[in-house]
Amino acid sequence: MQNRHRFSLLAATLFCMNVGHVVADDDLPVPADELVYCSTCHGAQLMGNAVLKAPRLSGMEAWYIEQQMQSFKKGWRGTHEDDLIGMEMQPMAAVLSDGQISQSAEYVSMTRSELPPITVSGDAAKGRAIYPACGACHGRSGEGVAAVGGPELTASDDWYLVTQLEKFKDGSLGSQPGDTYGTQMRVAAQVLTDEEAIMDVVSYISTLRK
Amino acid sequence: MKKILSRRHFLNLVGAAGGSTAVYKTSVALGLMQDTGAVAQLDLQKVGGTKKKIAILGAGMAGLTVAYELERAGYDVTVIEASKRLGGRILTVRHGDVIDEMGYPQVCNFDDDPDMYFDCGPARIPGHHRRAMRYCKLLDVPLRVRANFSRPAYTHDEEHFEGKPVRLAQYIADARGFMSELLHKAVDKNVFDQPFSAEDQERMLRFATAYGDLDPNGIYKGTIRGGYKSGGFIAPAEHHEPMDFSALLNSRFWERGMASSENPDWGEPLMEVKGGMDGIIKGLVRNISSPIHTNAQVQSIQLQEDGVDVVFHHKGERKKLSVDYCFNNIPTHFMSGIPNNLPEEYKKGLASLVPGNYFKIGFQMSKRFWEREGIYGGITYTNQRINQIWYPGHGIHSKKGVVLGTYAFRGQSNFFERMSPEKRLKYAADCGDKIHPGYSSYIEAGVSVPWGRMDHMMGCGANWSSEVREKYFKMLQQPAGGRHYMIGDQISYHSSWIEGALGSVEVALMDLDERVRADSAVSGKG
Repeated sequence: MQNRHRFSLLAATLFCMNVGHVVADDDLPVPADELVYCSTCHGAQLMGNAVLKAPRLSGMEAWYIEQQMQSFKKGWRGTHEDDLIGMEMQPMAAVLSDGQISQSAEYVSMTRSELPPITVSGDAAKGRAIYPACGACHGRSGEGVAAVGGPELTASDDWYLVTQLEKFKDGSLGSQPGDTYGTQMRVAAQVLTDEEAIMDVVSYISTLRK
Repeated sequence: MKKILSRRHFLNLVGAAGGSTAVYKTSVALGLMQDTGAVAQLDLQKVGGTKKKIAILGAGMAGLTVAYELERAGYDVTVIEASKRLGGRILTVRHGDVIDEMGYPQVCNFDDDPDMYFDCGPARIPGHHRRAMRYCKLLDVPLRVRANFSRPAYTHDEEHFEGKPVRLAQYIADARGFMSELLHKAVDKNVFDQPFSAEDQERMLRFATAYGDLDPNGIYKGTIRGGYKSGGFIAPAEHHEPMDFSALLNSRFWERGMASSENPDWGEPLMEVKGGMDGIIKGLVRNISSPIHTNAQVQSIQLQEDGVDVVFHHKGERKKLSVDYCFNNIPTHFMSGIPNNLPEEYKKGLASLVPGNYFKIGFQMSKRFWEREGIYGGITYTNQRINQIWYPGHGIHSKKGVVLGTYAFRGQSNFFERMSPEKRLKYAADCGDKIHPGYSSYIEAGVSVPWGRMDHMMGCGANWSSEVREKYFKMLQQPAGGRHYMIGDQISYHSSWIEGALGSVEVALMDLDERVRADSAVSGKG
């Protein structure tokens, strides 16, 4: 009996040696196997991967992720012929059931990573003058306003904000019938008169980081 | 008397001091050994007592080869693989296999028959890929010669020759014939400003005649090299009339595929693995006893002073593995999404590589209709987006066969990627109909494999611009912090070839061996 106990202890030790020790010093969420597809492109803890143009999603609001995954599923996002990156994502959401979408949104909201580096260098002072138009839906400090469907902005990759504003501005996003929030944003993006204005407002948003 | 050290004697001295690794490196430095010549026999120092720990990230060709070699040298090896399966892009699909495309998982619905398989990744091994050949021999992987270039196969162009396929033999014979005739005329009239002797001139004329099969007056009138139009066995042989030269020029097959078999990588004879290229992976895996964890995605890579810490997900837990050395076979484009403390320049180098992309379709055909057209293996080339059709060289005269129905490269792959799998197959079937009458009616099953969308791949090798190559290649061949080796075909001059992966392994293991030998020399332990 004692011998068998000793043997299992030894086996456990060997097992630990072989497969690595369980990490005790962090409590980061581990996705279910079917959700590892998210981190394939969006990175560990969904920290984002600029090389693949997959934005940071760490800790985003579950309601917002759910809403956007549904937008992809319905073809409101990722179907415009100019939105090539969106087209990469679209089938990922389309294949999921509503329940799986909720589950993935829940997981996204639990992930954590460091804030991404600042890569956009616009004129934040000029951006500040533009931002009040954004604040109505995204909050004065970019914290997001769930009631009107506006997500938090300050934890996103700044390069991603730029690409999304460009897409809303040229209509490759927010042009599908039925996409109320997208349409709202496409109209709002017309406030930005040119590329410089986009860079400026994104640089201002970076100054709002907590 | 001054004694001059011969190079051989010098190498013997180097060998005595530093083992075969040092001999190899010194030989390369002395210009005595070429990259493509004889392959170094890895002679890694056995590490027995010290049991150095190794983490291998990614169970593709390079990762598994490192596991195979280091396990034999006594290292304590763990392989961590993010996806469900082993082999990376060496993927052979058969009946019931899952093709794990992100968002479009497919199940291969070929017949349950060992001859019905499709190589979705590398499918050919040229003999000059000495490392690949050596491992196939070592692992008892059965090879056979594959017909890669077949003169009875076609070149097809929607805009020329009335959109009808033309036998490669005919096109190539005519192209050479016309060119030879021009050469013959030029030499005959002595238009070259070269001081040709009368003898040179005579030889040039004979060369042109032989090269293009010209008539005695130096005129091209067609040749039997372009295939028999009729007869040849029980009636006199007749060859085709020469085609229209301007159509031949305008269809531009001379640019697309005519010289393909003159590229050493596609030059005859090429080899393939009997029963599917994953025979190489099976050969490695049956010889590896170290743990290989699948469904284990890497979450963090941290260089430490005397090793590397790797965090990964496995069976619902976050696990940490602390090792002496790490061999990283993860596609470089994923590294920007994995927290790490690798040197900034090294990270920049990794981030500047652009993911490559390839797309393939495989069709199971109910009949071997190509054999009725006299085609047994080889490749048909078309200017349609499917690019190529490959005919199987095995199973001749059997009932069915699997053909490659599309081979699209880089940007062309995106065209197919953006369609659903059903639409891709339909598109490729329609293209095939323009080459082989009834092509689509023979299709029983099909698979499409876009490497840019495959699970834990999202690309196919790495594209290096010449500036990036100049700036970062040597650095990325070296271990970061002396501990973290980047490996795979991505760290080679042969992206998307097994030989590229094995070359990267050779460089990394030689470097490791040198470090370990130096360590043991200092500490006095083996």
